[in-house]
Amino acid sequence: MYLGIDAGASATKAVLIDESGRIISYAIVPSGIDFMEASRKALEKALSLHNLDLNDLKYSVATGYGRKLIKADSISTEILCIARAAYKLYPSVRTIIDVGGQDSKAIRIDKHGKVTNFVMNDKCAAGTGRFLEVMSNIIGVKIDELSALHFKSTSPVKITSTCTVFAESEVVSYLSQGYKIEDIIAGLHNAIADRIYLLASTIGFEKEVLFTGGVAKNKGFVKSLSQKIGIKPILPEEPQIICAYGAALTAKSKVSTRNCQGN
Amino acid sequence: MKSQKRSSILRTTKKIGDLIMEYFTKAWDRKNEGKPIAWVTVFTPIELLYALDITPVAPEHFAAMCSARGLILDFLEKAEKNGYSQTLCSYSRCGLGYALSGAAGFMPPPDLLLTFRNSCDVYVKWWQSLAMHLKAPLFIGEAPYVLSEEDLDGYALDFTVNQLEQLIKFAEEKFKVKFDMENLVKRVELSDIASELWLKILNLRRVKPCPLGGRDSASDIFPLVVLQGTDDAVNFYRELLAEVNEKVRKHEGIIENERFRLAFDGIWIWHAFDMIKYFEERGAVFVYEPYSEAWAYRLDKSKPLESIARKILAMGLNIDIDLRIKNFMDRIKKYDVDGAIIFSNRSCKTWSAPQIVTAEILNKELNVPYLIIEADMADPRQYAKAQIENRIDAFLETLEER
Repeated sequence: MYLGIDAGASATKAVLIDESGRIISYAIVPSGIDFMEASRKALEKALSLHNLDLNDLKYSVATGYGRKLIKADSISTEILCIARAAYKLYPSVRTIIDVGGQDSKAIRIDKHGKVTNFVMNDKCAAGTGRFLEVMSNIIGVKIDELSALHFKSTSPVKITSTCTVFAESEVVSYLSQGYKIEDIIAGLHNAIADRIYLLASTIGFEKEVLFTGGVAKNKGFVKSLSQKIGIKPILPEEPQIICAYGAALTAKSKVSTRNCQGN
Repeated sequence: MKSQKRSSILRTTKKIGDLIMEYFTKAWDRKNEGKPIAWVTVFTPIELLYALDITPVAPEHFAAMCSARGLILDFLEKAEKNGYSQTLCSYSRCGLGYALSGAAGFMPPPDLLLTFRNSCDVYVKWWQSLAMHLKAPLFIGEAPYVLSEEDLDGYALDFTVNQLEQLIKFAEEKFKVKFDMENLVKRVELSDIASELWLKILNLRRVKPCPLGGRDSASDIFPLVVLQGTDDAVNFYRELLAEVNEKVRKHEGIIENERFRLAFDGIWIWHAFDMIKYFEERGAVFVYEPYSEAWAYRLDKSKPLESIARKILAMGLNIDIDLRIKNFMDRIKKYDVDGAIIFSNRSCKTWSAPQIVTAEILNKELNVPYLIIEADMADPRQYAKAQIENRIDAFLETLEER
């Protein structure tokens, strides 16, 4: 059994896989302010869900924003983990768009699964999950209600500012003018999609395109981004754990390399 | 990723701090003797100023130094409090903040404000604002934009030589100095020797392992910027070349176990030398930067004014983007670069604008991966350390996987 743990800015994900690379169990918990504690909780939860024994764990790899702050046998970056998982699950994928709590990134891989190029958002929060969190707070809806409301929208508003702080005042202004919440939400999704489209355009889109990261769970946003790039993306069943899954695959490959060297 | 390897800087590089202090002390001595001080932008004819017995100091160099030493925030905030926007170039905010703080630190107050319109969009308005705050006379030189190598001769050259002649006339009238051609020839010769030495040093970075790293080249450039035409610059580069040669003879790299050879496109991020160290500790060494070549220009002492004019014209940001990119790609091959770090600079759009094109060519034509880092060269408030290190990790990991 191998563990991949992705200590992200807003959620910590633990994925356990078996010798064949199949997912046995996984768990997602909020990261809070203590990555160590969050990673312990995520692992415990993943183990207990399927009555797994920690003693069967052969190797673990940590990734994500907090990877240096948690306990694991080694670390790897999100870029490589996501690429590895994408290649394993969908070998025809050439472009991955990952939108997480604090970063968004686009990754290009070749037919062997090697990363040929990648790009990440600058230090600004626009175009990330954080942007949606801030906005849903202002609008007064829960983050997981955004998607359903998006599909009720008939004429999305135009959010012109790319800055979270300025976009916030735009939203407040739309609210005070009596615009419908669903139209504001669809407008926000379009704004992030525009931002990510620009980011990813610098390295280009090649088919197939895979969406990953927590924000890819928001179907409304996925619709906005698909429309913007004009390609229907592949959407994993649970996009939020792809990076942790890649870390688990890395853990497995570390052990097999070690065994080869041993022989 | 293996980390924490030995990383160091050269013995000679460590002397730069003292050389800078000596240079500013001399400038104040000259000021106190009643000799004129010129505040210059960094692509102006400083050999000519030395020949006219005018001492140049450069607010851009001063800003870089303040940023590297953690002293810049007071000046940035002073400018901002006086209404200069945070979106303005940080060098200009530092220079204006220094002027508004009384100009009483390292740089003596100016008797002349000299700039050339040859590289930067901000220079003219910045210098006009300085002239307003400091009540000093202003000289703005013009230089035509260079579209092809041929432009370095012909009308553009004649025009720029004429600008230099006007500057001489202006200085002679203003400061009652006498232009001495013999002195200029000597300055041009010294400047040429320093450039030749520096180019030899840079060329030795092609050697594997690379004997001189990014923290060295970033510091060692300074004599070329403000001391061109002096013995001090020549002596410094002689010593540096000797040390680099010695390292080459001993097959000694500036870092232990060189794994990746990198290029850096942009002005250095002066407040983040730790970032260069972060690369070095992970086995990645900087072997080439266009910035390091920017001030190295061979001059012909038999044609002193023409040579200086040509140097002003050929400055990297005054030449056509295609030429700039071509030069960069040539060096990528020559220095056997594994990856490029492209610094998209909040302050310097003239430099940053064509970077996406550069990146695309690097990736598609040369199959050299790149990483774009966004920050500001001098303003430390625009730097997100954790995120930048995250990207560096990912980049080095992808280089490793190739």
